[in-house]
Amino acid sequence: MKKIFLLLAIVLLASCRKELERINKNPNEPTTVQPDYLLSNGIKANVDTYWGPDAAMDGSLLYVQYWSKIQYTDADRYIAGAAGTQTVWSNFYAQGIEDFTTLAQLGDSLHNPNYKAVAIIMRSWIFQQLTDLYGDIPYKQAGQIASYLTPVYDSQKDVYTGLLTELKGAVATLTPGSNNIDGDILLGGDITRWRQFANGLRLRIALRIADRDNATAKAVFDEVTAAGTAALLPKDAVVKLNYLASPNQNPVGRNRETRNDYRISKSIVDKLKALNDPRLSIYATVPKDTNVIIGVTNGLPSDSAARLGFSKTSDAGAVFTATTAPAVLFSYTEQQFILAEAAQRGLTAGTAATLYNQAVTASFVQYGLAENVALAYLAQPGVLYDAVNFKKSIGEQKWLALFGQGIEAFTEWRRLDYPQLTPAYAGALGGKMPLRFKYPSSEQSLNGANYKAAVARQGADLLTTKLWFDVY
Amino acid sequence: MKYVQRLLGLLPALLWLQQSFAQEIRVSGVVTSRNDAQRIPGAVIRVKGSSHGTQADADGKYAIQAHTTDTLQVSFIGFQTALIPVGNNRVVNIALETADSKLQEVVVTALGISKEKKSLGYAVQELKSKDIAEARETNLVNALSGKIAGVQVTNSQGNLGSSRIVIRGETSIAGNNQPLFILDGIPVDNSQLGIGTGRDFANAISDVNPDDIASISVLKGPNAAALYGSRASSGVILIKTKTGKDVKSRLGITVNSNATFDRVLILPDFQNVYGQGAGGQFSYKDGKGGGLNDGTDESWGPKMDGRLIPQFFSNGEAVPFVPHPNNVKDFYETGYTLNNGLAVGGSSEKIDYRFSYNNTKQVGILPNTGISRNTFTASNTFRIAPKLTLSTYANYIRSSADNLPGVDGRRGNSVTLQFIWFGRQVDVSKLRNYKNPDGTDYNWNHSYYSNPYWIQYENTVGQLRNRFFGNARLSYEISNWLTANLRIGTDYYQDRRKYKIAYYTNGTPFGSYTEDAYAVSETNGEFTLNAKKQLSHDFNLDVLAGGNIRNNRFEQNYQQAPKLAVKDVYTLNNSRDPLLSTSYFSRQRVYSTFGSAQLGFRNYAFLNVTARNDWSSTLPVENNSYFYPSVNGSLVLSEAFNIQSKALTLLKVRGGWAQVGKDTDPYQLINTYPFNQPFGPNPLLTVSDKFLKSDLKPEITSSTEVGLEAGFIDNRIRLDLTWYQSNSRNQILLADVSPTTGYLKKLMNAGEINNKGVEVMLGLTPVSTRSGFRWDVNINYARNVSKVVELDKEGFLNSYVLGSTGNMQVLASKGERYGALYGTGYLRDAQNRIIVNADGTPAIDPNKKILGYYTPKWTGGIYNTFTFKGFSLGFLIDTKQGGSMYSGTNYTGNYTGVLATTLPGRDEEHGGLPYYRSGQQNIQLPSHSATAPGGAEVHHDGIIFDGYTADGKKNNVVLGAEDYYKAVYNSSLNESSVYDASFIKLREIKLGYTLPKTLTDRWKIQTVNIALVARNLGYLQKHVPNVDPETAFNTGNGQGLETLQIPTTRSIGINLNVSF
Repeated sequence: MKKIFLLLAIVLLASCRKELERINKNPNEPTTVQPDYLLSNGIKANVDTYWGPDAAMDGSLLYVQYWSKIQYTDADRYIAGAAGTQTVWSNFYAQGIEDFTTLAQLGDSLHNPNYKAVAIIMRSWIFQQLTDLYGDIPYKQAGQIASYLTPVYDSQKDVYTGLLTELKGAVATLTPGSNNIDGDILLGGDITRWRQFANGLRLRIALRIADRDNATAKAVFDEVTAAGTAALLPKDAVVKLNYLASPNQNPVGRNRETRNDYRISKSIVDKLKALNDPRLSIYATVPKDTNVIIGVTNGLPSDSAARLGFSKTSDAGAVFTATTAPAVLFSYTEQQFILAEAAQRGLTAGTAATLYNQAVTASFVQYGLAENVALAYLAQPGVLYDAVNFKKSIGEQKWLALFGQGIEAFTEWRRLDYPQLTPAYAGALGGKMPLRFKYPSSEQSLNGANYKAAVARQGADLLTTKLWFDVY
Repeated sequence: MKYVQRLLGLLPALLWLQQSFAQEIRVSGVVTSRNDAQRIPGAVIRVKGSSHGTQADADGKYAIQAHTTDTLQVSFIGFQTALIPVGNNRVVNIALETADSKLQEVVVTALGISKEKKSLGYAVQELKSKDIAEARETNLVNALSGKIAGVQVTNSQGNLGSSRIVIRGETSIAGNNQPLFILDGIPVDNSQLGIGTGRDFANAISDVNPDDIASISVLKGPNAAALYGSRASSGVILIKTKTGKDVKSRLGITVNSNATFDRVLILPDFQNVYGQGAGGQFSYKDGKGGGLNDGTDESWGPKMDGRLIPQFFSNGEAVPFVPHPNNVKDFYETGYTLNNGLAVGGSSEKIDYRFSYNNTKQVGILPNTGISRNTFTASNTFRIAPKLTLSTYANYIRSSADNLPGVDGRRGNSVTLQFIWFGRQVDVSKLRNYKNPDGTDYNWNHSYYSNPYWIQYENTVGQLRNRFFGNARLSYEISNWLTANLRIGTDYYQDRRKYKIAYYTNGTPFGSYTEDAYAVSETNGEFTLNAKKQLSHDFNLDVLAGGNIRNNRFEQNYQQAPKLAVKDVYTLNNSRDPLLSTSYFSRQRVYSTFGSAQLGFRNYAFLNVTARNDWSSTLPVENNSYFYPSVNGSLVLSEAFNIQSKALTLLKVRGGWAQVGKDTDPYQLINTYPFNQPFGPNPLLTVSDKFLKSDLKPEITSSTEVGLEAGFIDNRIRLDLTWYQSNSRNQILLADVSPTTGYLKKLMNAGEINNKGVEVMLGLTPVSTRSGFRWDVNINYARNVSKVVELDKEGFLNSYVLGSTGNMQVLASKGERYGALYGTGYLRDAQNRIIVNADGTPAIDPNKKILGYYTPKWTGGIYNTFTFKGFSLGFLIDTKQGGSMYSGTNYTGNYTGVLATTLPGRDEEHGGLPYYRSGQQNIQLPSHSATAPGGAEVHHDGIIFDGYTADGKKNNVVLGAEDYYKAVYNSSLNESSVYDASFIKLREIKLGYTLPKTLTDRWKIQTVNIALVARNLGYLQKHVPNVDPETAFNTGNGQGLETLQIPTTRSIGINLNVSF
């Protein structure tokens, strides 16, 4: 009798425990994930960050003087808001690195190496944005919470070289024609195009480190060009995310729906005007009251900025501010600029001037202008390729071509030191310009020791601290 | 040894001798209460000096064998012990006096069991119905403020909204630190749903009608509350409701009527010299930058000296630019609360009944805000059979609001944001007609804001909450020492909110409409067996054992039409874009068994032990069972050593140790993948930003407490001292981690927090005359010292983020006091002097630092009451000392130049220095009459920041006033806006009058009581300017951050209570 009771008690207890376990099953969200949904999300979320208010609009687009502010001018005066740098950092790491690391693992477990390669390419692209902006960043230990709660910051050199290795591996892994991928809202599942994008990123990074480590850069160029032109983006191809109608609108379009804080910078307007550049009327709008494109000087005090008049100054063009405007990640234009400079530096074969002309022409085409318009433009003395001062030629034209791509333009301006920009009128950096983003202040409390080590190595955590790649 | 044996041998003979003098008889009778003649079942009857005793039966009858020379000692909790000589009486009816002295005080303890206070090994404090009902706080939590040692209440903003309560400091780093509310033995919800939605919704316990409360017991920590388990580690607030038994009047009808009026207590002190604009210039054209600085929402504009400037109402015409000093003040209205209640009750042999209805209408100080509440209560006790009793309690509450005040400083719904970013010349009364004929809004600014009246009347948030809570209890007396209880209770509510943003609202041109609906429920089923037995003459035992099943459900349904298709139609169908919708559902179940025992020795020494085991669904199966015990004891020294006297009426020591385990929220074990809004036809799933933990363990809080209670001089001095220490380990923390880990938060079993403290309650009766005049003083003092001992075992984490705004974070930092305000400060040199940059602005230290702690060092209150015949006058002063706060109102208002604190240096009259501009540089001039080279404009608003250059020279760079204030008060520099939050507040004055019986008898009325109550009258000490230092923005742990609060209110009310 006693035994039966005991048995009954045990059974009862066991069933209670099972019941408790059943109750705690989360009915709200799945516990497993499909790779295509994850890929779509990773692309959307991170391109939003890349093109969004914190990395671009209130940061790199102002620093590189594409845009300026007519209201709330603090950001344009290099008074960086605390939230902005935190958002960029948090989004890129917690949404980007983590989503794509998970996708790479899924690629392995589902035996679809294309998912894995695409995940690595996107993750590398994010890491590249991060190191371009911040310098030393957690890389090798990033996104592995089970092993590293406080990831070590790797030097920028290690990040760039690590990315080159990863991208090389991804290119090798990609297999067109098998293992279809879904949910690819960037390149429509075109594996060949992914390979070209990855190679483009390799060239971008290789050139970035050329001032520091010419040999590594050369090796990358040799390898990529050896694979022939099919390994690179074909003429006029653009890697971009095409935004959709609200609520999936372009972050700039979303901003313009309710805010009126930004204008096109006087610096780029003046340059475009000086060169009679037909892209001017595409890059800028005509203000309501004046019928003349007028840019706003960067970094004015709020009162003087506002005094210029909201309807007397130009915003960026509709190509950039429309709801469905695309966000550009990489382009044939940029690729040819890279190849032009590489040729100039002896990193590849080829004629720098020809490649330079191709790049400028591609930019025109990218904005719907005819190739022959570019031809006349290129003949101008101010545009003509100058091999002696290639940094000026490439720097200025690349700057004009990358309009809108704030982070890349900001980085290339730092590397080439062209165009020569005047610091914000009422800048808060004592007449200097920002050369990086500050680390988010939360890193001090959450990853203090590693943060301190990075700052000790790289230099004070200031906007004006030069990064490793930025030799000159 | 031999002598002893011999003596023992003599003992029986001696006893026989004694007995031979008296005759043994059978005595019987009835024990009743002298107060209401009710019979007292369970009263203990003993023959004094012997181990012989019995208990009265269900009808209060008893029978006992005793000698004529014996004395019967009759006792029952709640009554004074009576000593009655037997004599020759065969029938001895005994009427017991109600206990009223401190010694006999009976309090409600865990599981609703009444116990003599002297038997308890921990501190308990009680508030009686009168204290609660007369104070007329609409949020019950506020009524506890200042009256109970160790209880910290953070008040609502405005006269609506949430209040936060914490007992004995924060014990949980991340979890809920508010106590558990138990109403008649059943937990009732006090959560605040919808934090961070731009409205400060009232916490759920504010639904309880103060008129229905018989008493509130505050069990201050694990020692008192261990029996409640999981949720009791932050203490328990036990609410006992009134029953028919409490109805004392003839007809049993009580009518209560109350009217309270609220006015703004503290408004920012605005300047009235300079108006809207920047750089001293302003001219209105379209309010969004078309004119001269007319999009600017700051007051760095021209002097308001009557100069002619086009303004928003003048159609381009230049009109006098003059101040309107009361423009903000006049926007606020007089809020009021009307409260009317009716209760009917009575009791008979078979039934106790009480019904009550209450209607509360509250109108806020912001235009078009308010909430109304209808409460229906039925409380019944049926004595079904001699040994079987059924008690039921049911409460239905319907609260509805058309609009609640906006908080959080959002443009679409917060007017306080607009008033701190303001043009001081704006005549708010001109904004009253807020709509243009074409439906757009009419305002002073169109670049950031909609008209403040538009915000109040068009962008509304409505709420409708239907709530039921109640319980049924069946009690069966198995024998005169054993009772069985079965209790089932539930608390269920549906809470629906509707958020409207109108078309043409600034920032949301198409408006939006959101519905947010919650369904929350908790049900408890509980069975207990309670045995009370007089074991011997010296020992009595009170044992309880039982079990409980708890079920919680939560459901949220959120849907938003992000852009309306047609204006003024608020439905989800009316949407331009796809709806944004989320839903969330959760369940939780806890099985418990528990037991307690109290062993009493001679009614002066008591030992209490409790034990409980919980099985929670929220923990992994291998860790979901957790056991926790407690033990405490009390010794009434004054009785034990017979040293009781007029001078020393009571001396008691007590002490104990307890442990409480705590589970977590549902679904914290396995990572899931959240959905994002689909991108066209592509569904999106992402990796969660929270990293969960599959082998979670329960949180354990251990607490030790010792105390002393004493009464002197006929109890005219009453002292209660408590020292406690609690330690919470294995805390379940959803800690912020570096995003570089790939996650923003990680759930861990880590963290240890230590709280130590003392509580002193001192009651004095300095005057008590025969004529009936009495003066009582109740003083309470509590000091709590918290320390975060450890965060994670590995030592990676140094801080846990409790809350943040911009750079400013509220942290639980290792080795620090809980609630550190961690932000950016001035860069200082070795001599602690502030370093300035080359441009004369203060330099900011790149390393953040602790700028203060929101947790106070100590709290206290003094409550004085004077009673004379029918009059009573009471006033309460309370204080919090030693905490800090970061004030968003001050930081913003100093930045925008609207506060009076921005006047110094703005012109010659206010001490400004003369200078002229040369390029980007300011060159100081020797005098205001000096001319600048080249005829440059001379400015008179120069200020030099009091600091030193990096190389140790006194700063001499002149800044314009606007630049100066913006450099000192901005989001990159927190230190300048951190203030000492200490205060002393005149919390309450109460004047009551009960009409003399001669008068009421003539009117055939039982009692008439009139009370005047004034609350939050003012501050006797306050350090932070422009705001109220004690405001809650929500009920979470991230306190100490003031962000554009709605002013708190001062209220004055009259209360009339009549019973027939």
